[in-house]
Amino acid sequence: MTNELSLTPSRRRVLQGIMGTGALTATGFFPGFAHAQSAAPIRLGFQLHRTGIGASYGRWYERTATAALARINAAGGISGRPVEIQFEDDGTDPARGAEVFGKLATEAGCDLVFGALFSHVVIGTAPRAAELKVPYLVCSEGHHVASGMLNRWTMQPGITDVKSQVQAMAPFVTANLGKKVTMVFPDFAFGHDHRDYFTAAVAAQGGEVIAQIAIPPTETSFTRYFPQIPAETEVLYHVMVGPAVLTFVKEIGEFYGTGAKPQLFGFMDSLEAVDIASPGLEFLEGSHFWEAHPRYKQADASAAETAYRAAVGVDDNGASVTDATDIATYSHMFSVWETLSVIKAGMEASGYQGPDDRAKFIEAVEAMTAFDEGEDHPQGAKTFNGKTHQAFGIQNISKVEGGKLTVVHKTAIEDGMYPDEVDYTTQAL
Amino acid sequence: MQKGAITAILAAAPGAALAHASERAVILTLPTGGFVWGAGLAVGLTALAASLGAALPAFTARRLFSRPALLPAGLASWLSAALFLALIFAGQLGTHDPYENPLPLMIWTVLWVGLTLVQAVLGDLWRHLNPWAGPVRSLRALLGRTGGIGLAGLGQWPAVLGLLGFAWLEIVSLSPDDPAQLAAVAGGYALIVFVLAVLEGEDWLEQGEFLTAFFSLIARIAPFWTSDEGRRVTHWAGLPGTQVLALPPLSSSQIAYVTLALASVSFDGLHETFAWVAAIGLNPLDYPGRSAVVAVNTAGLLAMWAVMAGLILAASVGVRAPVGLLCLSVLPIAAGYHIAHYLTALLTQGQYAIAALSDPLARGDDLLGLGQHWVSFGFMSQSQTVWRIWMAQFALILGAHLIAVLLAEQGLRRAGLRPGLWAQLPMILLMVLYTCFGLWLLASPSIG
Repeated sequence: MTNELSLTPSRRRVLQGIMGTGALTATGFFPGFAHAQSAAPIRLGFQLHRTGIGASYGRWYERTATAALARINAAGGISGRPVEIQFEDDGTDPARGAEVFGKLATEAGCDLVFGALFSHVVIGTAPRAAELKVPYLVCSEGHHVASGMLNRWTMQPGITDVKSQVQAMAPFVTANLGKKVTMVFPDFAFGHDHRDYFTAAVAAQGGEVIAQIAIPPTETSFTRYFPQIPAETEVLYHVMVGPAVLTFVKEIGEFYGTGAKPQLFGFMDSLEAVDIASPGLEFLEGSHFWEAHPRYKQADASAAETAYRAAVGVDDNGASVTDATDIATYSHMFSVWETLSVIKAGMEASGYQGPDDRAKFIEAVEAMTAFDEGEDHPQGAKTFNGKTHQAFGIQNISKVEGGKLTVVHKTAIEDGMYPDEVDYTTQAL
Repeated sequence: MQKGAITAILAAAPGAALAHASERAVILTLPTGGFVWGAGLAVGLTALAASLGAALPAFTARRLFSRPALLPAGLASWLSAALFLALIFAGQLGTHDPYENPLPLMIWTVLWVGLTLVQAVLGDLWRHLNPWAGPVRSLRALLGRTGGIGLAGLGQWPAVLGLLGFAWLEIVSLSPDDPAQLAAVAGGYALIVFVLAVLEGEDWLEQGEFLTAFFSLIARIAPFWTSDEGRRVTHWAGLPGTQVLALPPLSSSQIAYVTLALASVSFDGLHETFAWVAAIGLNPLDYPGRSAVVAVNTAGLLAMWAVMAGLILAASVGVRAPVGLLCLSVLPIAAGYHIAHYLTALLTQGQYAIAALSDPLARGDDLLGLGQHWVSFGFMSQSQTVWRIWMAQFALILGAHLIAVLLAEQGLRRAGLRPGLWAQLPMILLMVLYTCFGLWLLASPSIG
């Protein structure tokens, strides 16, 4: 473990290493740099949710980006040039997000900007990317890229969108858990997306959503909603989010007690960074969850997965290697790592030299069709749709067994495919 | 893009909701309700007993020992000034990451939270650490300047303005943590204060400079403190609040300052609660960010101040005692709630401050041997530690309010006033309500 950890120098050490590139090149630390046409570093801007409501994700996104940067530089950088990341805090705010995007793209002279997670920041920033003609690679999971809402300069190559994730769950749920589904979701756009995508997907599989229970977003106690769950319910699909989610699980456990209960199916968004073995969550034992990237290291984990886990400093239980109670945002943060891999591939494929080649970079990524599972893409293989700018990957369905999550099913990429809703390549660059 | 357009798009935006589940999630599953009402009951019963003539603690100061001063006069202030200048440069030129740059960590965590805690326990260390006092004194001596320009006549109003600006920057502004912006604001403020203090005299700082005024007031509730007699320092101890009873009634500008101090930290807690976010018509699970709430939260901050000052004034009318006398008892509440409110910030951002200390020149050093990934927030999602933090906050808020009611009663008795139970009832009710409100703020669902 000590050796593996040495792969993850702190961000400052990474940058310090870059600043000393000449000396390090001579000693072969960055083996490819000596052959590059230009030794000037490639500067990548990172729109970081350092403060504001996204801060708990931002902490892990920064950690993942720093580890990915160290790996890329250790392997020779991009086109033989060293790579730097400049992090700017966007306060998880769309106006501030657009402001720091401009700062990164113009004042700091970054070649492109990546890293944003929260949908409202992405949606608030994307117009600025088109205006400045600077590539904006988001790690957001939202359907807003593939829906056609954004623009040709905005792409999501590192993580599957929520529409695809939800749709991909239906075949497993109807075949293994039950065909009569009751959905419990928060009553706003996020919950409505789940309601609409999953209801349609279940119907396509011959199942039926027999009740949709929308919970007001400000609700902090749920017991009074549970009698609305029809008795014939076979699967209870829940996607509660926010601070009341532990209360939700606790109360539903109290509602059903030790008697008969439906199968529970949830999304890891509800419990991201929360210890599944927390007191009060015992009721989740035996239930199923969607995970993009399995929090617990699985018995059949690939070498790439093992290396990625070590590089970002996460143990086999999904916690920080320095604190077993500090649970990572593991189901989402791989998107930062994989996006950086796509950036490298896109820049190298386009022969990227500098800001004048930004359009060529976009076209090079649009020309990509698939990413193989491996160290560049430890979460798994993906297809990439150059028209919709969206990646589609495999999804995991995990079962809570003994307070841990065990993957019981991996979806096929095709399970999450849907007809294109946009062709960004028709827009001028 | 116009903000209105962004809001319109967001309203229709599909996508992921990643409202975080830990921190407040844990406390929502813990039985805090009984503690909220129980604390209110304890404060109410204590106040009732006191107003009915129960014996009160004596609040006497005990002299511990005296010793020679350790440092030459003004040295600590000069060192502070040098550190402050270095921090301003670091803010302008250093890393843009607010959790690695020492300036935001120093101002928002070490100074505003850490030093407040130290002042509330060990008394007024700020009078030595104040970065203006030493340089101002030296420059005035050099210029042969004595006397002032009449700023003292403004009372504490300049400090009220300073605190209002500071609170707005912290609670409402778009990027209070941005190192370069903070350096510009802090540097500009420091320069203005420096010039004014050179013109008026360093003693004006305690009156007109908001940080000095704040720390000086907070230090009055400390159970340990010192006094200077020439080059000798005497150490004292007494119940928290003992020093407050030695103060004259607060002036109107001091009342404005103290109520603003309490209102601003209260609003800092309130503006992140689901209750507030829902009340201003937003979905707390889909919080649009600070830029969408600048106007309404500015209004909220001012309204909180008006309501708090209004309630205290209204309650004190019935007591028929000078408002300034009763307002002295707000001091422990301001200090107690400040520390309770920022306790989690101290435990989280404090880690970044220590990490920055381990690498003061931002060149990859690890002087304290912290190792990789040292900053860690796992304790915030463990029910055992969340419970301990809650108990500490509970003790702080209950203790602060108990001291407040005892101080209020003792102050009245020493002034020869016996208003009786009925006259005091509104004030007692206010104390009870504020006890419950302060604890409720810490235990209710929030977006933070």
